[in-house]
Amino acid sequence: MCPGLFGKLYCRHSELSDTAESKLMDSIEKKTLNVDSMTPSDPMNVLIVGVGGQGVIMVSKVLATMCQLQGHTVKQSEVHGMAKRGGTVFSHVRFGTQVWSPTIPKGKADIILALEWAEGLRWINYLDKNNGTFIADTQHIVPPFACLNRKRGALTGYKTHLPGEVLDYVHVGYALDATAIASEIGNYRVSNTVLLGTLSTVLDFPLDLWRRVIGESVPPKTIDLNLKAFEAGRRWAEEARKNGMAPDQSPVIVPDDQPQPEEDNFELVLTLEWCKGCDICVKVCPERCLILNSEHKVELTNADLCTGCRICEWLCPDFAIDVIKTPHEPQTGMSR
Amino acid sequence: MDSSSADSFNIRDFLRLDMFPHFLCPGCGHGIAMRALLWAIYELEIPKDKLAIVSGIGCSGRIGAYIDANTFHVTHGRPLSFASGLALARPDLNVIVITGDGDCLAIGGNHMIHACRRNLNMTCMMLNNEVYGMTGGQASPTTSEARYTTTSQSGCIEPVFDACALATAAGASFVGREVTIHLPDLKDLLRQGLAHKGFSFIEVLSDCTEVFGRKNNLGESPEMILSQKSRMRPSSYGSVDGNIVDEPFRANTLPTGILSRNERPEYGDTYRKHAADIRALKSGK
Repeated sequence: MCPGLFGKLYCRHSELSDTAESKLMDSIEKKTLNVDSMTPSDPMNVLIVGVGGQGVIMVSKVLATMCQLQGHTVKQSEVHGMAKRGGTVFSHVRFGTQVWSPTIPKGKADIILALEWAEGLRWINYLDKNNGTFIADTQHIVPPFACLNRKRGALTGYKTHLPGEVLDYVHVGYALDATAIASEIGNYRVSNTVLLGTLSTVLDFPLDLWRRVIGESVPPKTIDLNLKAFEAGRRWAEEARKNGMAPDQSPVIVPDDQPQPEEDNFELVLTLEWCKGCDICVKVCPERCLILNSEHKVELTNADLCTGCRICEWLCPDFAIDVIKTPHEPQTGMSR
Repeated sequence: MDSSSADSFNIRDFLRLDMFPHFLCPGCGHGIAMRALLWAIYELEIPKDKLAIVSGIGCSGRIGAYIDANTFHVTHGRPLSFASGLALARPDLNVIVITGDGDCLAIGGNHMIHACRRNLNMTCMMLNNEVYGMTGGQASPTTSEARYTTTSQSGCIEPVFDACALATAAGASFVGREVTIHLPDLKDLLRQGLAHKGFSFIEVLSDCTEVFGRKNNLGESPEMILSQKSRMRPSSYGSVDGNIVDEPFRANTLPTGILSRNERPEYGDTYRKHAADIRALKSGK
């Protein structure tokens, strides 16, 4: 498995054949970035990315505070305003003896910490290909614009690579299901602290300071939970290094060249004698494919747009609309 | 939202097709409530022979006539009384009462509180459209304050009846409220009410476009239905202890969902046990 395995990738939840495991074990060495060796022109670059609401800003604040307390010059810049909940959020943290620019150039990030898998992939070209460390949560948050085709059974536009495929782009990779770890601890929302725990094993900062800064950065009620999550993230990274876990194959995404699953077909049957032209179906249809015609009766304008969501059927007080699921048509010339 | 049975549910199996189209005005929410009820019945797989639908007078009362089951169209305000007798005599039937706000709370208010108190095994679906629609739009006990109707030409000044609070206080063991636009939720609520052993009282917030919405400038039926979303708030108390602990956090909204539920003894069971005890006592002597 994983013929292109030339980096080191630590993942969770899977099995590895004996030979592959021993090979992986041989190639594992602990990588700690030595902060003292940095030159003034070459600061340490950490890029933190994720989805709005996950806690990207909290992670970057903790990291920036840590660096400040360690006596480094820190510059941090973030984009979060338009993201609110559900959009893409990123934060650049640069620290060293002297930092000139607050943003990280492409291909120069020493560490990418991704709180969501596809967001990590989106920013992977910022990572230093030869020396970079990639830490990512394998959970998938599918954005609404990836679901433009609202037909039932339709594919989403959310495309991603398996952790094994990411190896070509990273020097060291950690792919963990931080959300599952956080849920085991008690709240999935501390997954960002789990990842912070994993990050702390890569950076050479004192452990007590990490705990103190996290305690000061999170709401008082959640300090215990966050510290537990931090320990879990650290423990995971240490175990992963020791045992050499195999690339996680669990996220199954159908590539473009594979046959796509068949979409359900729906037929709209209108009983015009029962229609009283109340206009409800026209107003509630998300695809805007119904109108009232000149006789004040419902009419389907474009059958291709109908996704079979049944909202018109459900909200028709006169039972004049029936959405009928039909068997799949044979695949002849259907490109969509 | 559970829509797994949506593909197989065909409402025409439950309708008296020769009576269609029905007499309700364009855009009347009662039709949507009727679909939810029939869908809930379909999901529970209740055979038509075991289904008894009792309805009173009014727009809501006509719904019973369109359902292909044992239906019983009775006097104004008394569907719960008729249904009580039916449920006592035939405990094998699923008794469903379809009633309106005027039918249930004004003319039949007395019958309603005693039906709640006895806790007989039946389901009462009260369609609340805030008005007496069939008779020309008079103010009903649930007409909101400042609303114009034919009997409140300068705006209604009477306070509103909260039917769910009344039912809970009177002793109904399952009380819920839902709006028509959330049809799958309404269907789920009705299904739970039908499956509940004891008196289930479910208030459905419906819309009356022709005689209420037009007078009050509430827009056409789509606007009235869509505005229901801003009138309700999901209930925070789905607990089983039957105590109302909701604290209103938004003015002018009504809680929806299961409002109270408990498992107190059903009257029919108590009655039959009592009767059997007396019979045994007499035969023993």
